[in-house]
Amino acid sequence: MTALTHILSKVKLQVTDNEHTYSHVEAKPYSNPYYVGFGLGLVLLAAFVIMGRGLGASGAVSSVVTVGVNAVAPEHAQSNGYFSSYLGDGSVSPLKDWLVFEVLGVIFGGFLSGMLAGRVKGGVEKGPRVKTRTRFIFAFIGGTLMGFGAKLARGCTSGQALTGGALLGLGSWAFMLAVFAGGYAVAYFMRRQWR
Amino acid sequence: MNAPFYKFDLFGFDVSLIIAFAIGIGFGFALERGGFGSARILAAQFYFTNMRVLKVMFTAIVTAMIGVFYLSYIGYLDLSLVFISDTYIIPQVVGGLILGMGFIIGGYCPGTSFVAFSTGKKDAIVFILGVTFGIFIFAELFPFIEDFYYSTNMGRVTLPDYFGLSYGMVVFLVVLMALGAFAAAEWGERVMAKKGESK
Amino acid sequence: MHEISTTRNNHLIDPTLSVWGWEIPVYLFLGGMVAGMMIITGYFLFKQRQSEETCSCRYVPWVSLVLLSLGMFALFLDLEHKLFTWRLYTTFQVTSPMSWGAWILIIVYPAILVTILITPPKWLIEKFPVVKKYSNWLNERKIWIKNIGVANMILGAMLGMYTGILLSSLGARPLWNTSILWLLFLVSGLSGAAAFVHMVAKNVYERELLAKADNGFLTFELFVIGLMIIGLLTSTQVHQDAAMLILNGPFAPTFWVFVVGIGIIIPLIIQLMAVNHKVNHTPWAPIMVILGGLILRFVIVEAGQVSSWF
Repeated sequence: MTALTHILSKVKLQVTDNEHTYSHVEAKPYSNPYYVGFGLGLVLLAAFVIMGRGLGASGAVSSVVTVGVNAVAPEHAQSNGYFSSYLGDGSVSPLKDWLVFEVLGVIFGGFLSGMLAGRVKGGVEKGPRVKTRTRFIFAFIGGTLMGFGAKLARGCTSGQALTGGALLGLGSWAFMLAVFAGGYAVAYFMRRQWR
Repeated sequence: MNAPFYKFDLFGFDVSLIIAFAIGIGFGFALERGGFGSARILAAQFYFTNMRVLKVMFTAIVTAMIGVFYLSYIGYLDLSLVFISDTYIIPQVVGGLILGMGFIIGGYCPGTSFVAFSTGKKDAIVFILGVTFGIFIFAELFPFIEDFYYSTNMGRVTLPDYFGLSYGMVVFLVVLMALGAFAAAEWGERVMAKKGESK
Repeated sequence: MHEISTTRNNHLIDPTLSVWGWEIPVYLFLGGMVAGMMIITGYFLFKQRQSEETCSCRYVPWVSLVLLSLGMFALFLDLEHKLFTWRLYTTFQVTSPMSWGAWILIIVYPAILVTILITPPKWLIEKFPVVKKYSNWLNERKIWIKNIGVANMILGAMLGMYTGILLSSLGARPLWNTSILWLLFLVSGLSGAAAFVHMVAKNVYERELLAKADNGFLTFELFVIGLMIIGLLTSTQVHQDAAMLILNGPFAPTFWVFVVGIGIIIPLIIQLMAVNHKVNHTPWAPIMVILGGLILRFVIVEAGQVSSWF
């Protein structure tokens, strides 16, 4: 039955499309989470087998921050214990980095998937009861906490929870439980933003 | 024993960056398909209305975990060459708590914010700026928190090491736990859906 | 990349490897775009589409005029003896690609200006009423317009090809020293220009046509890149080393990720879906194609200067 409605919706699209106008393609619903998880698991496994390392995201931002600080205040960046670890001996740019290219792939992979499903459109993700301005302020505060926490924990949800989780790292599992604990602890106070 | 390929010098650093891009495309594609480009779906996880995050994440972990277990069991993958970050238990738990709060306040995690950005969500751009700022703050404060950052180092320790169980046993237990979590998630969604109707 | 010690000393060729900055790649890119735009405009003129109100042949020449001037300016910035530029135009050397290039660039200007004269905008007529007279005279002679279209296509092709020939005639740089480089630059310029017109076209027929054409150009470009690499790999040792620079050397990530991945394959997938009405037309794929074309010139110029005979 669902397959039939699926086919019918396609037929309808083609009929409205026979004029050569800017066709408007409807956004498709998200895929089955278990299939997606299986696919994501295979991508992660491929990273282990090919590279001997997992996925990540926040490390790429660290490289960008390092390059930015190094451009503005090179002496300061080199004397700072954290930035200098990203700068290395200075022969290779911190942007020529595995995670930077991986995140570039994430951006284009997400774009491609969204494009093929008609889901690339502007907008702000928020509940109906909150203003865009408020949402932006919370997004920035949340991002700041996220950046700080990710550095303290040596990785974010991708680098620690997903990668370390699959490799059964003790710290990663402790981290993952802490993430859920922290999220559920604050969720009640944030409900206006989302619901 | 011939994997991980990179550690056995099948290709050099420059080629590894091309592979990074290809793997990243797969990662981003999967995240977007899963609905992780939407902050509302991600946040719904914490209100039990949509458990996609848990389902996708645990399915991925279980898939990769079983794959790694199997490939190392048959001797194809040398697990000692796969990078597992050292455990610094207290900083990681504290970092996880801060990150969890940031998750529900900001609506994304770094990886998903890039997907949301690429599908045009404006709040994701603000979020990424926030992450950048947070990392900058961390690095500037690093001299003061360096001791804490390096405290409680337990080395490269995994769940099987810590609990003294065999690798296969832990894999089995994690699969059981995941199946339980999936059942609970499906049940929870149904309960919340009913609650939503009765409102 | 390794240091080289040599006793040979050809000024700015042998011991000094990288002497070209951003100016040359930018110029090569802009020149390629203009070449592609001229070919597209010429095709529409040949098809007698100039009477259509929304024809891209009415505004694309203006864009190419601006881009060509910017490109010439970048080239001028690169010149060592700026005041002697005029001397290029006191002679014509049949065997020198440089001489060909200088003259092609000069002939391209009147061709674009005549194209503008076919359908002049209102403000131009108000300012110079005489323009109307010439325009009418031209429009009464359809065969002339057809021929201007053909001239545009020929000159565009020459402009697009010459940038590649200029590089490949330089034997001291093995990566450039491949006889297929002109085709790569020509088809890359065409795909960039088609992407641009696809992005801005108001006319639905032209947009669809150029999206399809762009898909063809991008597919062809992939083949040309493949052929270029095969050609280098089956040549002498220095050419193989040069190919390795973009196959697994320091330029490989930029080349495969930015030029081939983001500049060709991803936009090709999106545009293939778009022309089949599976996804909406968006400016993103064309932007990727155009940026990919720019980065292609940078990679080829930079890697070429690193490749050497020893």
